[in-house]
Amino acid sequence: MIMAAEIALEMRAITKRFPGVVALSAVSFDCRRGEIHAICGENGAGKSTLMNILGGNYRPDGGEIRLDGKPVRFRHPQQSRAAGVSIIYQELSLLPHRTVAENVFLGVEIARRGVLATQAMRARTKELLARIGSAIDPGAPVSSLSIASRQIVEIAKGLLLDARILVLDEPTAALEDRDAQKLFTLLRDLRQSGIAIVYISHRLAEVTEIADRITVLKDGAKVWTKPRSEIDLGMIVSAMVGRDLSDFYPKRPAGAPGAAILSVRDASNAALHDINLEVRAGEILGVGGLEDSGKAELARAIFGDAPFASGSIRIAGGALDAHSPRAAIAAGVGYLPSDRKLEGLAMKQSVRDNALLALHAMRRLLSIPGRGGLAADAIDKQLVARNVRAADFGQQIASLSGGNQQKVILCRWLAHDCRLLVCVEPTRGIDIAAKAAVYETMRAFADAGNALIVVSSDLPELIGVSDRLVVMHEGRIVGELPRGSTEEEIMRLSLGLGCRDPAGRESA
Amino acid sequence: MSARAILRALRQRRLGVSINIGLVVFVALYGAIVLVQPNYLEPGLAMNFLRRAAPLVILAVGALYVILTGGLDLSVGSTVTLVVLAASILINGDPARTWPVILLLYGMGLVIGISNGVIVAFLKVPSIIATLGMMLLVNGVALSWSGGAPRGDLPDNFRNIGRLVLTDAPVVGSLPIAVLVLAAVVALGWWGLAGTLFGKRALAIGDNPRAAELAGVPCRATRVAAFAVSSLSAVTAGILVGGFSGVSVIAGKGMEMQAIAACVIGGADLLGGRGVIAGAVFGAVSLFALFTLLNLLGLPQALRDSVQGAVLVLAVGASVWRNGKAT
Amino acid sequence: MTAASPFRRALPRRGGSIASLLTILSLAIYVGAALATGQISQLSYEGVVGLAQRTVALGLVALGQTFVILVASIDLSVATLVSTVAVLASFLMKGDPAMIAPAVAVCLVVSAALGLVNGALVAYAGVNSLIATLGAGLVVQGVLAASFTYLPGSVAPQFLALAYKGPFGVSYAILIFAALALGSSFVLSRTLFGARIFAVGGNLAGARLAGIRTERYVVAAHLICSLMAGVAGLYLAARLQSGTPWIGRDGIYDLESIAVTVIGGTVLSGGRGGVAGTVAGVLLFACLDGAFNMLGVDAFFKQVLRGAIVIAAVAVHAARTKGHVA
Repeated sequence: MIMAAEIALEMRAITKRFPGVVALSAVSFDCRRGEIHAICGENGAGKSTLMNILGGNYRPDGGEIRLDGKPVRFRHPQQSRAAGVSIIYQELSLLPHRTVAENVFLGVEIARRGVLATQAMRARTKELLARIGSAIDPGAPVSSLSIASRQIVEIAKGLLLDARILVLDEPTAALEDRDAQKLFTLLRDLRQSGIAIVYISHRLAEVTEIADRITVLKDGAKVWTKPRSEIDLGMIVSAMVGRDLSDFYPKRPAGAPGAAILSVRDASNAALHDINLEVRAGEILGVGGLEDSGKAELARAIFGDAPFASGSIRIAGGALDAHSPRAAIAAGVGYLPSDRKLEGLAMKQSVRDNALLALHAMRRLLSIPGRGGLAADAIDKQLVARNVRAADFGQQIASLSGGNQQKVILCRWLAHDCRLLVCVEPTRGIDIAAKAAVYETMRAFADAGNALIVVSSDLPELIGVSDRLVVMHEGRIVGELPRGSTEEEIMRLSLGLGCRDPAGRESA
Repeated sequence: MSARAILRALRQRRLGVSINIGLVVFVALYGAIVLVQPNYLEPGLAMNFLRRAAPLVILAVGALYVILTGGLDLSVGSTVTLVVLAASILINGDPARTWPVILLLYGMGLVIGISNGVIVAFLKVPSIIATLGMMLLVNGVALSWSGGAPRGDLPDNFRNIGRLVLTDAPVVGSLPIAVLVLAAVVALGWWGLAGTLFGKRALAIGDNPRAAELAGVPCRATRVAAFAVSSLSAVTAGILVGGFSGVSVIAGKGMEMQAIAACVIGGADLLGGRGVIAGAVFGAVSLFALFTLLNLLGLPQALRDSVQGAVLVLAVGASVWRNGKAT
Repeated sequence: MTAASPFRRALPRRGGSIASLLTILSLAIYVGAALATGQISQLSYEGVVGLAQRTVALGLVALGQTFVILVASIDLSVATLVSTVAVLASFLMKGDPAMIAPAVAVCLVVSAALGLVNGALVAYAGVNSLIATLGAGLVVQGVLAASFTYLPGSVAPQFLALAYKGPFGVSYAILIFAALALGSSFVLSRTLFGARIFAVGGNLAGARLAGIRTERYVVAAHLICSLMAGVAGLYLAARLQSGTPWIGRDGIYDLESIAVTVIGGTVLSGGRGGVAGTVAGVLLFACLDGAFNMLGVDAFFKQVLRGAIVIAAVAVHAARTKGHVA
């Protein structure tokens, strides 16, 4: 029997509407003291909206929130925090030019008669970081930290509040496994001390490891809430999408790879050393490694955003002088950035214009928009073929879900006729159905005689999607693995252990 | 449909044709003018109105190019001043010199525009500062060169560009040359944005320069081109201003802000990524209609500033309401 | 990551260093010009105090502008406000020393009112700060110009002491400016209010999520800016003995206050910078002006040089910007 007093947080029949879409419809959710309750769902399922309402950032159109049985109404994040709700976001709420301590204490600074107690804040920050097992310097500016470290600062910030309800939104997205494990230990401690913890994540393996109960949201409504003991992974996935886990990654290619599309020899720059790489037609090459292994820099070097300083690159037979993205694109390379909001999309422009962006950039200046290859019909067909769901392709792309936005960026490169597509974290922050669509598109692209390089931190994805993969460590390629490798093998190489020679030069 | 539903549809731009707010404002203001002075419905006065509004409209078209890329050009006012003073000094009353000097003036404008563009795109100086510095510099050059007082003389063939009215035109009767120039500039401006890929590229840069760069948009060249267009339109406006107002050391004073205001009234987003030529044009004629109206009402020159200020804030306020804000 | 060129690495990193660099540069230019033209008198006590005096007006306005730019806003109404306060002060005092205190009070209230209006338009109505402050400024400018002829007057003779008298030949105005500068620096770097200002400018959404009432701080920044401009207006009234509606515009206080703030290292996108850099920027302009005068540079050509220097000064530390700039 659950006593009402044990329920720390209750959200009853919450409804939220935005222009043109119902984000949440009568969703009820509760979390008990001393419980870790996970919420799973596709993007657009409503998880973030629900938490934004709890955090006082949005106001619900219907329903109510109760804390410890008492109804509350939040009109501003300050009220929510004052009530003991602490929400840990994904490093987007940090101030890059301020110190770690200043960030951790943001909004709750220690001040005596208006004057900041800087030493006290730094000391306390150091304590908090130690609790998470981190030795980050509280006086360091956040801009000097890696993304993983910034996420840790974000977590420390959330812990400072001494909250009764802690909400974590995709906390391990930017973390390495060892940091994630430290976080889980911490969460178990907090659970022990009676805090109600809400854990939002796409990572089903983690969710089944850490959660006591799991709630699945789909299309703004709750599907079910069940205790962990009654669930397995398959159930969660089918509740989220209604399809089988095994269908997830695309089937293997039909024939053997063809001629080399990309060939990199002895290339280096400030971050990368002696890179030797070859990708053939029909191949998807995965690139794995830890946060600072240089895999993202490799992608940027090939695309010309942070070019190689020495060595040679050839593409489809000719030399590739990728000194700028524009040069690389002209040679047939496309790029799917890891952060589509920051680096991929022009939010105020239409879906169509975003899909046509590469063409608009690369065709002759005097080409007439909307005619010939730039015609609306042609690109609309592409968008429909990729299953981009939008009421009207002339509407602003900001109104599309993350998954659909990612598909639009894919269309952009498909329309441009690339030979090589470099993708970095291609399915970060998008729902399962869209992920599957992205993988399918990649496979089809490769099967058509082109090649892909997929840089990813998601090991199952890397293993599922790649035909073969290379692993990087400290700016070098330390190993190559064939199809069917295990996560352990990849992790060993990523950590710099078992340094094998790169698996021989590819025979041309 | 209830009034509320209509307002909501307007707000969400679902009424089929999206009505440019500048057009609405212009129709309202010109209507008010006509109420005060019915003659303004006659082609003669209407053309005269357009003739006098032409410099501002031309400046607004140029300003829009820069605003789309997310920047601002504060130097156009002083460019106008420079053009007026330089023309006067260089031509010095000799009609044979008019066209060569005009060519030279466009050359100067190109130098100013490209310099602005290079400073912003290559030296990474924010455009407010870069064009502010350029404004001081160009104004200084203009005053230095002229010694602080109007010198030289503008011959008729120069001035006619700004002030001559053809009296035997079909349909409208009187047709000022300035209006022809205006039409040509607007057509060119529209073509640049809608008939080439320049507009799409500029919008992408203003919306998300990093994404534009990664999609292959030539960001630096596009920015430089935008500033060049802005300065060239300032030269054109200056020639018209010199035509009908004559020479003065404060010829272009304040015009850069008016051009920006015109674009804002026409719906352009000052942060970049949104705006159309029609908006800039309607915004400019609206602003000019406002000035004319206040003039006709006998409002003291001083209070016109106040009204302009209030209209500006209201126009942007309306734009913010229209585009909605996060909940 | 490309290796930073030696030039880039040599550039100052923290705001304090920019301030020091600018100060040294400014003084070098001033001293250099004095020595080169043999006008050693400029380096005397009176000369240096005179230099300090010339930093007061722009300095006060720029202090206020710094707060506003730190919260990623901008204030184009300062020039108008300076003129308005100068005129109002003269009108209210009409030469009567008993009216000094009431006049000053009214002027500060008027300044505060404009600051609140600006702040409200930007923070609560969501109007772009360029347009909001330009518009508000225009409204006030119009009213001022229209009613100026009805507002004759001059400041009380005792009020002139503000600009002309003070201990050891240093006018009270200079002291007030110094005090306000030091106070601002303290507030920004060591108080809760200051930390919140940086937060709001650095990451508005993040600050809000952290529970900070961001609108209040934006309004506060605009309030401070307008009050500073008001003080500058009072100073100018004391210096010129009366005001006209064009003092602000003629001094280009709006755009120059923005220029010196940015030159001093405060970033237009907010969240970074400070008062030390701004004061150094003002000093630079004053020294340049002084140097130009000593070198006999033509008044108009001074403007040309000023424009070029604004661009060059910002270009030098914008050179480190890796991303895009509009």
